[in-house]
Amino acid sequence: MRRGKEKDLRRVMSRRGFILAGATVSMTGFLAARLYYLQVAQTSRYRRLSDRNQFDVRVVPPVRGRLFDRKMRLVAGNAESFELRITPLYADNLQETLKLLATIVDLPELRQAYVLDMAKTLPSFREIMVRDDLSQRELARLAVRSALLPGVSFGKSLRRIYPQGALTCHITGYVSPVTQREIEKDETLEIMPTLGTGKTGVELVFERKLRGFPGREKIEVNATGRPIKVQSDVPSAAGNDLRLSIDIGVQLHAAERLRRGRWDTVELGSHEVQAALAQDAELQAHLAVGDNMILRDGNDRLVPAESGAAVVMDIHSGEVISLVSAPMFDPNLFTGRLLNRDWRRLNEHPRRPLLNRVTSGLYAPGSTFKMVVGLAALEAGVISENTEFFCKGERELGTSVFHCWRKGGHGVMNIVSALEQSCDVYFYEIALKTGIQKIRDMALRLGLGAATGVNLPDEKSGIIPNHEWKLATKGSVWTPGETVVASIGQGYVLTTPMQLAVMTARIANGSKAVAPSLLSKSADASSDFAPLNISESALAIIRRGMFKVLHGAAGTANKYKLSKDYGGMAGKTGTVQVRRISLAQREKGIVKNIDRPWAERDHALFVAYAPIKNPRYAISVVVEHGGSGSSTAAPVARDILAKTIAERGVT
Amino acid sequence: MSLWRTLFRIPWHIIVLSLLLVAIGAMALYSASEGSWQPWAGRHAMRGAFGVGVVLVMAFVDFKILHRLSYFMLIAAIAVLVALLVIGSGPNVARWISIGGVSFQPSEPAKIAIILALARYFDSQPQDRMQSLIVYLPAIGMIAIPFLLVMKQPDLGTALMLLLGGLSVLFAAGLPWRYVGGAVIAALVAMPVLWSQLHAYQKSRVMTFLNPESDVLGAGYQIIQSKIALGSGGLFGKGFLMGSQSQLNYLPEKQTDFVFTMIGEEFGLVGNLFILALYLALSLSILRVSFLVRSRFSQLTCMGLSMMLFFYVFVNVAMVSGMLPVVGAPLPLISYGGTSMLTVFIGLGIVTSILIHDRQED
Repeated sequence: MRRGKEKDLRRVMSRRGFILAGATVSMTGFLAARLYYLQVAQTSRYRRLSDRNQFDVRVVPPVRGRLFDRKMRLVAGNAESFELRITPLYADNLQETLKLLATIVDLPELRQAYVLDMAKTLPSFREIMVRDDLSQRELARLAVRSALLPGVSFGKSLRRIYPQGALTCHITGYVSPVTQREIEKDETLEIMPTLGTGKTGVELVFERKLRGFPGREKIEVNATGRPIKVQSDVPSAAGNDLRLSIDIGVQLHAAERLRRGRWDTVELGSHEVQAALAQDAELQAHLAVGDNMILRDGNDRLVPAESGAAVVMDIHSGEVISLVSAPMFDPNLFTGRLLNRDWRRLNEHPRRPLLNRVTSGLYAPGSTFKMVVGLAALEAGVISENTEFFCKGERELGTSVFHCWRKGGHGVMNIVSALEQSCDVYFYEIALKTGIQKIRDMALRLGLGAATGVNLPDEKSGIIPNHEWKLATKGSVWTPGETVVASIGQGYVLTTPMQLAVMTARIANGSKAVAPSLLSKSADASSDFAPLNISESALAIIRRGMFKVLHGAAGTANKYKLSKDYGGMAGKTGTVQVRRISLAQREKGIVKNIDRPWAERDHALFVAYAPIKNPRYAISVVVEHGGSGSSTAAPVARDILAKTIAERGVT
Repeated sequence: MSLWRTLFRIPWHIIVLSLLLVAIGAMALYSASEGSWQPWAGRHAMRGAFGVGVVLVMAFVDFKILHRLSYFMLIAAIAVLVALLVIGSGPNVARWISIGGVSFQPSEPAKIAIILALARYFDSQPQDRMQSLIVYLPAIGMIAIPFLLVMKQPDLGTALMLLLGGLSVLFAAGLPWRYVGGAVIAALVAMPVLWSQLHAYQKSRVMTFLNPESDVLGAGYQIIQSKIALGSGGLFGKGFLMGSQSQLNYLPEKQTDFVFTMIGEEFGLVGNLFILALYLALSLSILRVSFLVRSRFSQLTCMGLSMMLFFYVFVNVAMVSGMLPVVGAPLPLISYGGTSMLTVFIGLGIVTSILIHDRQED
């Protein structure tokens, strides 16, 4: 019996043992299923979470592409600069530390507030950039006090530099810190607040190419946020370097030559100059924007360097060899923290140094427009090479009288001699016969009245008027008198120096509607311009007139021939009245330019191409309020062309 | 019994399985210290070797001594636990006792003592009374006293293990099904009472277990990071020493309670299932011994030890994979910890002793 009970119990216990074994196996199966769910079914989710734990992703700003001149001289590059950073984790009291920093370096309250804001949103182990572009002085002051500044460190960053300084300011433009408006247009800029963006010039036009693409840096961080190692996930792609068509050698000469005009420079250090400077607000303002060229004018007065524009281009490839707008400014001022004082000086300077006169300065073309009128008349068949008109010094039209610049008149003129002597009456006559519409058509074909498309922002298209334009803008009909005024490039006609250079280049080229470019081109890429479609015989007549301007016995600029060594040049003067001359003034006799206030003097213009045979370069020069085109602008153009040919040759 | 016969009868497969687990543990601890034998892996391996020595020595000890000492051991264990509560060594947590510079957790030997004492108790009961509840009441008391004492330390994990191990002996002894059902109902009823007895940090652990995302950086952190580490390991893992969660210290307690997570991150599901298979084999091997031995004492001891070992594995894995609250239960033989490893080897030594000295064929 007892044995039976014993057996019973053994059976119960065996059964219980099997139940326990079964429970063990099924519970293990349950665990396996749970692990399968986590490690296979949900693994991608947990892998993502693990990566988010493990890595801290930072944006690596790209290195901006550099700019070179055509001989690979650096025009815009990147230099290392120091920036001040703070790590909130190690700063005992962020607010106090920032306040202390503000006593050591320039740190506006707005910036302090920004840093405090950032510290709230970022992990505390993240460095925050407090100030960039530290000066040597600030660095030294910080170094001495570093013991009082826990969590404060230095870092290197890249800063845009323009080694040529003011010389290339209107070509390169400048880079400056990203603005809120830019971020609204392009969100990628928000993650790279330290990255500057091009604001004007080539820096703006080629922003996309120069900027490159930001990289991503994955930083492995441990649970307390300490970086373990850096893994570059996506390397940043540096922006493209660009080779400009500019030749710094020519540019340097052109800038100096244009600003000197027809006067001589004076030594700044002399007693006399210092004394004059102290009294002359205009000179002080001039020096304050960084231009230290002072001239002695014909009346023995000390005056600032001339303002104006000069642009040289290759008539075949369209490459711009030199582009100068004066006054200039130092683009390096903008790359870091632009001081309010500097900004005010530049912005409030009466001669507006920030304006690029070559593409955005509008000038009446004056007599340089006569080639357009001549070509229009020749093409329309209104005149031939031998068509003559008599200039008696004025031309009546209805009740009005239109004067020639020469009081006594030029006598019998044909198209060539009229260009040579710049006879106004001749062009009054042929313009009246041709009509404003055909003149406008020709102007547009030569590149006037529309942006030239050179790689610069804010290019002005100027005005080449006709009936429709007058009706649309002034609301009245076009009168023949306005055609007369337009025929000598005055009245409504407005052009940019760039357009005038293009016009000259097309006249010299003869077959292609060449357009300007600031990028250096390979030698074989020069002929992809549209055909010009102007009769070669008409162009030849006009070119002969331009030749005579310098080489004719009565040529308006025959004192300023380009030496035969450089192949000579052909050109056209232009002198543009800025103020209407009243009858009273005319009767008193015209006051000499130099005796008028600067702002009332005539603009001096000159366009030219060289060499005469197989021309290669076209130039346009505008000297603002510089007097006459012949006496001021022509020698400037001549010297710049000479330098261009000397530097670059003609083949 | 001759030396050769004893050696022949030693369950070598159990020793091999336990050594494999110790080796896996050493490897995991080597990784936990970022590729170094210091401070854990080397000592872990040495303790494993010592543990096997303990098993081999115990093979020569007659199990009857254990039978004789079992009540005394339980009383001694309870006394130490009471003493610990009175003296206390930590500010809030009194788990350790230090004798002559060697610290150990008295709750560890209590686990074995409970099983041995229960086995002896049921062994002494006449078979025909096994259907009545009266028989089980003293046994329940033997479980409840150390359970409550360890709860008070407070060490919820170990207390739970004492409870589960003891209850499994009750079940193995033949507790009628009606009482099993009754116990389940009683447990459900007792839940709120138990809940009120828990410390605040224990409550918060349970609450965060139920909703870990409620406190990502606080109490829920461990569970979330553990699940991330396991899940991101995938099928084959990130590779030895390559577990970013573990190596970058996102994973807490990776050398003790969360070592399974670390292995899962570095060796994936495959590694985890391999370890589970080893534990299953070890538990079933010990359970199998209970079918080979003669006395009820031996049978129940083996069943209890097998289940205790398995419950440790189950609770630990369920805990790190987010199925149970974080109660603090190490993974036997793999987690770093001298007392708990020694306890496991003593348990294996008892099983070995029983198998050699109480086989049915003899």
